[in-house]
Formats: sequence, structure tokens, C-alpha cells
Amino acid sequence: MSFTVNLRSVTLEYGAEPALADVDLDLEAGKIYGLLGRNGAGKTSLLSLLAAFRKPTSGEVLVGGEPVWENAPIVSRVALIREGGDFDDTETVKGTIESGQIRPSFDTDYAFALADRFEVPLKKRVNALSRGKRSVLAALCGLAARAELTMFDEVHLGMDAPTRDAFYKELLAEYMDRPHTVILSTHLIDEVANYLEEVVIVDKGRILRHADIETFQGMGATLTGPAAAVDALGLEPLAEQRLGGTKSITVAALDAAARERAAAAGIEVGPVGLQDLFIHLTAPQDRNGA
Amino acid sequence: MPTLANLRLPTRRYALGAGITAEALKYFKYWIAAALVLAFAFPFAVSQWNDITISAWYYAANGGKWFTAFVGGGFLFVLVPNMVATGLTRRELAVSMGIFGVLWSLAIGAIAFAGLLAERAYYGAMGWSHGIDANDAIAPIGSAAETAAFGAHYPLVYLVYFTAGALIGVASYRWEGAGWLLLVPVLPVVFSLDNALYDTEPVGPGWAGFLGGAIGDWGRGLIVALLLVTVAGLAAAAYRILIDIPLRAKKA
Repeated sequence: MSFTVNLRSVTLEYGAEPALADVDLDLEAGKIYGLLGRNGAGKTSLLSLLAAFRKPTSGEVLVGGEPVWENAPIVSRVALIREGGDFDDTETVKGTIESGQIRPSFDTDYAFALADRFEVPLKKRVNALSRGKRSVLAALCGLAARAELTMFDEVHLGMDAPTRDAFYKELLAEYMDRPHTVILSTHLIDEVANYLEEVVIVDKGRILRHADIETFQGMGATLTGPAAAVDALGLEPLAEQRLGGTKSITVAALDAAARERAAAAGIEVGPVGLQDLFIHLTAPQDRNGA
Repeated sequence: MPTLANLRLPTRRYALGAGITAEALKYFKYWIAAALVLAFAFPFAVSQWNDITISAWYYAANGGKWFTAFVGGGFLFVLVPNMVATGLTRRELAVSMGIFGVLWSLAIGAIAFAGLLAERAYYGAMGWSHGIDANDAIAPIGSAAETAAFGAHYPLVYLVYFTAGALIGVASYRWEGAGWLLLVPVLPVVFSLDNALYDTEPVGPGWAGFLGGAIGDWGRGLIVALLLVTVAGLAAAAYRILIDIPLRAKKA
């Protein structure tokens, strides 16, 4: 069984500052979600509410259809892995892994196998690990939690590229073996884009967009051609660039009719990568491109 | 923690409390052994050129109060983010810490009690006087029964210190940089009751036990009752701070 997620009119304030404002969000069970947002957008705050790390100022946070706050049967099957992990730094790696057994579902053998595969030394203390190894330890504890809702919040920071690749593959293998709900919060968008089924973009404490990956992939388009022809389409650009008489614009949506007119005008239509789309969607004031 | 293997959800808070106690005793076993060795070796060394009139174990046991307070506070400070992030509820953590506090205080109290009786026999065998520094005068602890009665309160006193430490620890996690200020109301209460119970100044800033002289005449039964009320009050305050504590954001 994997968990659904429902947020109903959720607001979280730090003092007078709202980190999340009146957020409604529904996530189906058994999918891999990407949670994207700029620094300070509210991603970590959102994940903290789902893992009961924090209590919302107002609103309702449901996981698996039940309130998550102080709900042992639910939180014991929810894992939020933050960058660097929430460890006792004086503990050994072995002791840290074993403390995961507080979750009845924790797979200790799997955790030790991953530690061996990723070459995390069991006898070392956590505070003696490099940043990369510490990230790996956090990630492997998250995978071995065998939770029904697993969230990784920038957990790959510090990992080198081959390790990140191995982590994503292991995450996917674990997901295929045991379908559950996964949320990946990351700034390395293009690295994880192929693994995502749905994407949630948070901006300034609100849900800016939530759609499946195909919708995002079909959402944006880059149109490049003679400036006059591009302007004649009358599209609202997210960003634009001009080089001599050639103009390139990025649009958030391009319907079939506009696509036909563009093709007829000799304008080249290309896809927009998820990362580029994200950049444009979260920086709407930047209309002139860089 | 080997005791965590095969935990079941409905009972994990109890197993965790017992497991933390076992691990803590295991972790600090050399500290405890060192206190034992020093408390018994030091008077022997001093006896080579001076009369022994005062219990060394009394100081070791008093140091144990501070040690216990640091264990209560330090463990809770570390365990809050660690355990909540591992899927434990705050209520479960509170129960685990309660069990840990009681078991730890009983264990350390039993060691303190046994150490005091052993020291009495040791002092008797060596022909030394077994006394304490009771408000600037050395007073003998007394007969074996009186020594046992004197030491019997150690578990309860340790529990008071543990709970006070836990309160300061959880407040320090919640109100980073300001939580320790709870020492201002907590320390005089704990020190005064300690002072009243033993008719002597506790190790540390003894002036903080300024109320001890006033309540020292109320009778031991009433002071023990006050200690129990204090444990309940401190535990209730720590629970209140813990029950909706937010985990701190990670810092780069």
C-alpha cells in the first residue's frame, strides 16, 4: 500500500512570515513526483508538513487519508530524508543504520548491502564522513526505510555524478520492486526529469503548477524564426531573445492552431526542457531573456 | 541499538526507552568505573599523610546528579530531531524518555546506594570516619541503617536532576539560544530541595539552594513529597514543550 497526500487550505507561518499560504494539493498514491521551486519557495516547508516535522499554522495535512500529525501508524511509514540526514553525529554509521529499526518496516539487511555497495564505512562516526558519504548514508537510510511515502529533499547534494546516477537507479529499482509514493525535491531538474511522473512547482509559498510530466513536456515550446513572423503569431512569451533579424521566444503553451501557423510561417518549433520551463515559470518578470 | 531489532509499532516506545537506558549505561560504563575507582583510591592515597573524615563517594554521587542532568538534557536534545525524523511521534518519544529517566535514575541510584554502603564497610575496615560536609561541619553519616536511609533517596534525587536536565534540553532545542534560561527558575527549586534533603549544599553553585535551609525543617517525608511533585511538574513542562516541537530547518 502506498500513501496518498492531501493538503487542504494549508498555511505555515514562521513568525509573521508565511512559508506556505493556503495551499491545496492532492497527490495520488504510487507515483514519483518532482517538487520544484526556487530557494525559499516553500518546498522544504511543504515536505516538513508531510513528514510531521512541523505542524501547520492552519489547514489539514492528510497522508494515506489520515491526519499525519502525531499519528504513529502513519508517520512510521513516512520518510523525509533531508540533506545530510538527521543523525546523531557522534554515532557510528552502523549504529545510525540500526537506529532506523525504529520503523517496523526498516530493512536492515538492505541498508547494510547499500552501505557496502556505496562504500560507506560502517565503523566510522557520522561526523567523520565526507559530505558525499554522509549524503549517501542519508539516502540509503531513506531507501531502506521501505516507507509508503518517501521524500528526498536535496539529499543528493555532495554526491558526485556517478553516485547520483547510481542513487537514482537504485531509487527506481526499489520503486519498481515495491510501488510507493516518492517525492524528489531537487534543483538538479534535468537529472531527475526522466524519473518523474508528475511535477509540482512551488513558488512564493503557493502551488504554481501541478501536472503530469507529459503535460509539462507539451506545455512549453521554443519558436525560432524571422522576428516579424514570430511577432505576427501574437503569442505571450515567457522569454525572448533576438539575434539580428532572428527572434526566439519561449512560450508556456502552444495550441495546435498556433503550431500550424508557426509551421506555415517557417518558424522552427522546439521543445522546452523541464528546467528551462521551470526557470521561465518561476521568473515571469524576466521577459527579455538573458 | 540491538534492542531495536524486530520492534512492533504498539510497543516500540517502551522498548526504545529500555534500549536507550541499556545503551547509555553501556556507553558510560567506563565513566562509572572511573568514578568508582577514583572514589575508593583517592582516600587511600590521601590517608598516607592525612586523616580521612569525609566520604569521597558522596562527592562522586553528587557529581552523578549533574551527570544525570546532562544525560537527560543531552539525550533529549539529540534525540528530538533524530527520532522524529525516524518516524517516531513526539508522544512516543516522551514515553521513551520517561522510561529512560526512571530506569537510568534507578540504575545510577542503585550504584550510588551500593557504593555508599561499600564505602562505609571500606572506611570501617580502614578505621576512617565516614562523614559528609554538612553546612560547614563534618557530620558522620551514622550507622549502617542510617547510611542506607541516606543513600536510599539517590534514585529519586537523580530523577529530579534527570527531569530538570530534560526540560532544559528540550527547551534548548526549541528555543535555540534562549532555552537554557529556564535554568533560572529550575535550578533554585532543584538545589533547594537537594539542600533540604541532605542538609548540605549540592555540588555546584550552592547559593542557588538558598531555600533549602528554610524547608529543611519540614521533615523528610514532606521533602520527598515535594521532590515527587517537582518531578511531575518538570516532566509536565518538558512534555508540553516537546509535544508540538518543530524540527529545525537544516543549515548549510
